[in-house]
Amino acid sequence: MKAIILMLATCIINSLNAQELFVVTDPASNVPAGSVSVRLSNSLFKEIFEDGYNYHLMPEITWGISGKLMVRASGFVSNRSNTLYAEGGSIFTKYRFFSMDDLHSHFRMAAFGRYSFNRADIHQEQIEIMGHNTGFETGIVATQLIKKVAISSTLSFEKALNNRPDYDFPSDQSSHASNYTLSIGRLMHPNKYTSFKQTNVNLMLEFVGQTLNENGKTYIDVVPSVQFIIHSQGRIDIGYRKELYSNMLRTAPDGVYLNFEYTFFNVTN
Amino acid sequence: MNLKILLIAITFIPALSNVNAQISKAEIVATGLTCSMCSNAINKQLKSLTEVDSVVIDLNTNTFVVHLKKDNKVSPRILKERVEKAGFFVGSMIINMSFENVEVSDNYKFEKDGFSMVFVETKAKTLDGENKVKIMDKGFVTNKEFKKLSKSLSKYPTYIEGNEDDYHVKVMVP
Repeated sequence: MKAIILMLATCIINSLNAQELFVVTDPASNVPAGSVSVRLSNSLFKEIFEDGYNYHLMPEITWGISGKLMVRASGFVSNRSNTLYAEGGSIFTKYRFFSMDDLHSHFRMAAFGRYSFNRADIHQEQIEIMGHNTGFETGIVATQLIKKVAISSTLSFEKALNNRPDYDFPSDQSSHASNYTLSIGRLMHPNKYTSFKQTNVNLMLEFVGQTLNENGKTYIDVVPSVQFIIHSQGRIDIGYRKELYSNMLRTAPDGVYLNFEYTFFNVTN
Repeated sequence: MNLKILLIAITFIPALSNVNAQISKAEIVATGLTCSMCSNAINKQLKSLTEVDSVVIDLNTNTFVVHLKKDNKVSPRILKERVEKAGFFVGSMIINMSFENVEVSDNYKFEKDGFSMVFVETKAKTLDGENKVKIMDKGFVTNKEFKKLSKSLSKYPTYIEGNEDDYHVKVMVP
């Protein structure tokens, strides 16, 4: 707990900005060409059926191949087996195929795909290839930015495979799902920019839903978060995820996020 | 070939000449962004060009004033590509050029370091010293503005051709 308070305090001292850089979804915009960003995502979710918390650590590295194409590699570490255990990894790519930009607005669309592997046990009906299931996900995202507000929506198909070597996907569960998200972000501070060093504050509200295609079971979560952007190069997210509705088995639906990210510009230019 | 088009084409064959004109500064307004991290991405892209001396930014208007080194051979397209690499677009680009007694007129064209400039909607005058010109081509104006311009500038055949090394410029009144 001390560590968490210390981390939160560190967050509040530092800070960053970008109303599209959502906590649990990706916008249609990509990272700049030639940039490399490093992210450390932490999440702590409360277990429903047993005591304690489920901690996930996700180190990520993102590279902008061009202005339109980016790739990201992620690693998954968790304490589900009572000790920190590297469970798997993921590769993600996103291509922006449509842009309609105006002075202080844009509408963009992108297609993305992700493949993940995971060797942890399968313990819930929810399909989550970010840290739980082996599988793939493919979808499209559309983002509208108008001045200080960004609205983004994602539709995707997610398919779970066996968590090799030890855990086959249960045959009595739906192995594929439709995912849908709606994210809203707003720049709260500053009102007027004075320099790149200014800390920016964004508030975000995201809705994340999943329907299992074979049986129609559904969950919908809400994720409010605050984001700080520091020196126009670093980023800290603090978010809370709360289940609004669910009729599927989930072992730890509610919890908190704490993410740190830093972007190195022009690394491969 | 349609006679009318031929006649128009002949009328508008521009005078071609080599002129000593140097780009010293470019004032770029980028579109599609409102966050300082986005501006920083453009800033870093522009600064990574060796010909760039400094970049002065207004974060509230997303205006990047790019000061170029002496005797540079930067073309507007190189600057535009940098903005696009950051993931954004150019909404407006006004460049500062120094001329030495150059007589310009409507559809006057000159060549320079591998690209050419065509003056559009320009009354005959002599340019001497530093002048600002605005680039009117696709990718250098917003999409909305380009739609309007492709009608109003349709009498300039090279504008419609859209060759990326032909820049169509308008002299800005100081």
